[in-house]
Amino acid sequence: MILSAAGVLLRAVVVLTGTAIATFALLWAGPGDPALAVAMARYDTVVPAEVIDQVRAEAGLDAGFWPAFWNWIGPLLSGDFGNSSVTGRPVWPDLVAAISYTVPLALLGLAIGLGISVPLAILAARAPGGWLDRFAVAIASLGAAIPAYWLGLLLILLFAVTLAWLPAMGARTPSHVILPALTLGLGVAASLTRIIRSGILEAREQAFLPAFRRRGVADRAIGRDHIAPHAAIPVITVIGLELAFLMEGAVMVEVIFSRPGLGSFLVNAIEARDFPKVQAVVILAALLFVVLNLLIDLLYRAIDPRIGGQGA
Amino acid sequence: MRRGKTLTLDAVTFSLPKGDTLAVVGESGAGKSTLIAVVLGMLKPVAGRIAWSGGPVSACRPALVMQEPRAAFNPVLPLRRSISEPLTARGASVPQERLARLCDGLELPQTLLDRRPGEVSIGQAQRAGILRALVAAPPLVLFDEPLSALDAVTQKHTARLIADLQREEGFAALIVTHDLGYAAAFSDEIAVLRKGRIEELSPTSDFVEAPRSEYGLALRDAAFALGALEKVA
Amino acid sequence: MRSVVVLVTVFILIAVAGPLVAPHDPTAINIPDRLSPPGAAWWLGTDALGRDILSRLLHGARWSLGLAFLISLIGLIIGTAVGLAAALGGKIADWVVMRVTDSFLAFPELVAAVVIAGILGGGVGSLILALGVTGWMRYARVARGIGLSLGTRGYVVQAKLAGMSTLSIARWHYLPSLLPSLTVVWTGMFARAILGISALGFLGFGVQPPTAEWGTMLLDARIHMRSTPLQMIWPGLAVVLCVLAINLAGDALRDALARREDQSSAETG
Repeated sequence: MILSAAGVLLRAVVVLTGTAIATFALLWAGPGDPALAVAMARYDTVVPAEVIDQVRAEAGLDAGFWPAFWNWIGPLLSGDFGNSSVTGRPVWPDLVAAISYTVPLALLGLAIGLGISVPLAILAARAPGGWLDRFAVAIASLGAAIPAYWLGLLLILLFAVTLAWLPAMGARTPSHVILPALTLGLGVAASLTRIIRSGILEAREQAFLPAFRRRGVADRAIGRDHIAPHAAIPVITVIGLELAFLMEGAVMVEVIFSRPGLGSFLVNAIEARDFPKVQAVVILAALLFVVLNLLIDLLYRAIDPRIGGQGA
Repeated sequence: MRRGKTLTLDAVTFSLPKGDTLAVVGESGAGKSTLIAVVLGMLKPVAGRIAWSGGPVSACRPALVMQEPRAAFNPVLPLRRSISEPLTARGASVPQERLARLCDGLELPQTLLDRRPGEVSIGQAQRAGILRALVAAPPLVLFDEPLSALDAVTQKHTARLIADLQREEGFAALIVTHDLGYAAAFSDEIAVLRKGRIEELSPTSDFVEAPRSEYGLALRDAAFALGALEKVA
Repeated sequence: MRSVVVLVTVFILIAVAGPLVAPHDPTAINIPDRLSPPGAAWWLGTDALGRDILSRLLHGARWSLGLAFLISLIGLIIGTAVGLAAALGGKIADWVVMRVTDSFLAFPELVAAVVIAGILGGGVGSLILALGVTGWMRYARVARGIGLSLGTRGYVVQAKLAGMSTLSIARWHYLPSLLPSLTVVWTGMFARAILGISALGFLGFGVQPPTAEWGTMLLDARIHMRSTPLQMIWPGLAVVLCVLAINLAGDALRDALARREDQSSAETG
């Protein structure tokens, strides 16, 4: 148990270090002179060579890859994400503002996804092969094939353009979150329905269930005490994966709906070649996933004590 | 010798002269498979030494005939490919004349070699396995329960073929088996293995006459009772 | 099953022969006829620059499907090599390789692809690189899993005993057993690559204009949603049908493999 916990922690460190080095290397090796990009972004005109050199020295870019890397990672370790190379303002407050838009969107999307998929999957699994089951599977297959950006556009077309029920662009009022969240949630629902359904079916096939039924344990109690935990393991796994999907989906959805948030923050930063901001998002995303994976790992252990042993 | 706390073999001591056959008999779980793995160098012994002409056994490129004839062949490749592996691995090609002679000796039509393992009988697959073991003329061949997957008639026939080939080729054979009747009929020496320990090591004729260990005696008498072993007078 | 085969065949035909049957030049600008509705001259209408949407869809298929094929193939090659290295390279290699794989897998692929393609600048090369380096992990896991189970097979033991090099053992004894499962993974990754290419195209980080590609077509169409909503429907529909067909084909393939495994285990067991 201690060994496997150490393994999980080690893995977290490996992920974060690897992401940091990879991101920095990508920016370092990417096309164009980073100093030129910074200078252009800052002064927005053609800049003379000595200004570029000055920027290079200021940003610590003239010292070579590793010193430049340490220049960046050192402050980062103490929580300093640096300053935007475009505006010169600290990255952190902007990042917090972006997060404050993305988190409600992601949570609402996840809630919608669970709200649709859990009842649908339970109903579908009640009569495998029945019309409801086939309907659920068909919807799930279709949902897995529809890209979020197209679904978003279709929803805008229907609810904002044709029916004019809901606002589509921006984030001025609380109702602005409905369509983006629905776009995210429908995507989540499609994959979750499939997984929960097969999770329930598999749990039901477990050998111990007929034995319980023979002993006269009530169906409801079997469902609660035995099927639910078995179905929960794949569901937790998928919610873990789903969070990756939510992050991806948020990037697309925020762009479609011109909504502020981490996705727009990232895309705008890339377009402006504002490297400190790009690095901040990537590191934050990596950190988020490391923490979430740790939590999921702990949840597994709580549900099924056998897993701790296997991980060692 | 397996990883972890279980030491499954100890105090195994034997030597095997060229051209001779040593049969290692014992019930399942006695450590026969471990013995083979150790001899072939697939498991490292914690202590002790295994040598062939003074060097490591793997240097003489020993061959192995396995218990499950079909599992020893890649299911998607024709037998011919697997059979030539011991030679192609060292950049040599299969001498056709030798292949033909071995096929004759094993009563294995060469056309069968173009089939896949699933398309030949178990007996044929086992003879193909013996063919692969012998194709590169190794000085030492290990047989891991070579007959146990075969039916009674095929068993006798295959045992005969192995013995004939050994006379021709002159390789040393280490046969691991639970079948004392087979061991008695085709070996020069018998080692009785029990719980990872050699209980006795005797010339085969002496063993059949009078086993020196209690366990050997029990084994022999059980074989007598079953009619698997006849007294060689 | 039959309809899936038909659908997949149709898409392959479109990708291969589409540009040949396209009625117009996909990049020919025709301002007087801009934003035309579907009709006799323009079967699916025209876009904001008066380019024929049907022709752009047909040409776009080559980019969307062809690039997705290439990208998923790159992932297949990288992933299989990585997985086999883990399975055949011993315990330490296995640990290191799988930790790296897990790290890649833990990160949202599309976000990584957006960052890579965005930093390197749009274009086909960075698109392939971005989706290629983020799309090999599933292959690696499958290849390693099956590879580890093959290590104790009789024929692998025999090959090692014969002194075959690790590389030829991987080539002759591991690869054939991996291919069926890897093909199933490949169908899924092929579909993901189509989605990824069009997503990057939609964000402006993918195939660059004026080349017709489904994602960039959607990006163009988005601005004119109010006046010509149909323009936005076609490329999206193309993506959905393609991905759906490939996913269904993958499901059918997986079921067929499962049945074959059942049969063969019934025969030997």
